[in-house]
Amino acid sequence: MDRRDFLKRSGVFLVGAPCAYVLHVLPVSGARASSGHATATRRWGMVIDLHKCLEDCTACVESCRHENNVALHGDERWDVYWIRKVDIESKEPAVGTEESVPLLCNHCDDPPCALVCPVQATYRRDDGIVIVDHHRCIGCRYCMIACPYNARFFNYKENHDWHNKNYPKRSHGVAEACNFCAHRLDDGRLPACVETCQGIAGALTIGDLNDPHSEVSRLIADNPVKRLREDFGTEPKVYYIGLPGR
Amino acid sequence: MSRRRTFADKRSVLAVSVLVVFAAIPLLSSLISYVTARSAQPFLEMPDPKYENCVRETEYMRYHHWELLAEVREDFVRHGKRGDITLSGCKECHPNRERFCNQCHNAVNLTPDCFGCHYYPETPEAELMETYLNGKTTAPAAIAAAERNR
Repeated sequence: MDRRDFLKRSGVFLVGAPCAYVLHVLPVSGARASSGHATATRRWGMVIDLHKCLEDCTACVESCRHENNVALHGDERWDVYWIRKVDIESKEPAVGTEESVPLLCNHCDDPPCALVCPVQATYRRDDGIVIVDHHRCIGCRYCMIACPYNARFFNYKENHDWHNKNYPKRSHGVAEACNFCAHRLDDGRLPACVETCQGIAGALTIGDLNDPHSEVSRLIADNPVKRLREDFGTEPKVYYIGLPGR
Repeated sequence: MSRRRTFADKRSVLAVSVLVVFAAIPLLSSLISYVTARSAQPFLEMPDPKYENCVRETEYMRYHHWELLAEVREDFVRHGKRGDITLSGCKECHPNRERFCNQCHNAVNLTPDCFGCHYYPETPEAELMETYLNGKTTAPAAIAAAERNR
């Protein structure tokens, strides 16, 4: 092979290899694995009926804490909440304030937290659940800044509450948020907060938004529902009935 | 002139040897831990002989169990494929972390952070373990009893 041949062949290789890669001609290791989530045709969503939600009740918060080993240090700087009760104030004074609104991760269809995550620890599952892979999380807290709902919390300290030994806790230095109790949904059970609330007030409902006959689809169709800050375009999947304001 | 060159030579020889020594430190330390791991005979509490094999052969499990666990973790967490190999499955046969996992991890000075988040009983009552070892109870029963006692 003379110099000219060599240059020609290397040119062909340099151009051809990336083309083959892009066109999936070559078998590439780590090629996009098809997701095995059995529920990929589903799209989980939640409806919260504020007319039914009791003002002083925090059963959902407590049950979540016990199910998912969510840290409670007794100091608001370090406490973690996957679901919490907040007061939402409308910008129009005439509309007023809605007190004690359950606020959790909205599992956006276009999640800003997953977008900013530099290590892809936060991602959206095929069934719409936004979930954190705590093995990958490096604790940079970009997701906390990106989340418009302040639904993300950081483990500033080691958590020693291990109520539910069948479920892992999070160690010091990772961000976390509600995952709709994905482990329970995968087992065909309801999330801890929904299960608890159904025995008390029945304000929380979870279901498949893709199924027009599901409970959540029916509630959304029959009631005037609102989502939080729809203007951001994050397409949240938590719907509220009876939220004040426009 | 010649004196200068000698000085420079000496300096470079010194620099190279210092570099070699410093580069050797991590290599040596890992070599030492490797040799220790190979030569040390940690006491591993083995399961009831009725469980004949682990999910792979023993030699593979001894050195590569963490790769296997990382692989199944990736499959489950990222792709939702739950196989039959889980960390909690290890507990079925090796119920006590202190007498199984930690033996090798301590010998090679490793602190894997699996157990910071995943529950694995560390020190069940010695008595219970004795009864388990003598075949008077099964591993799951020993775990359950240890958890009651916690």
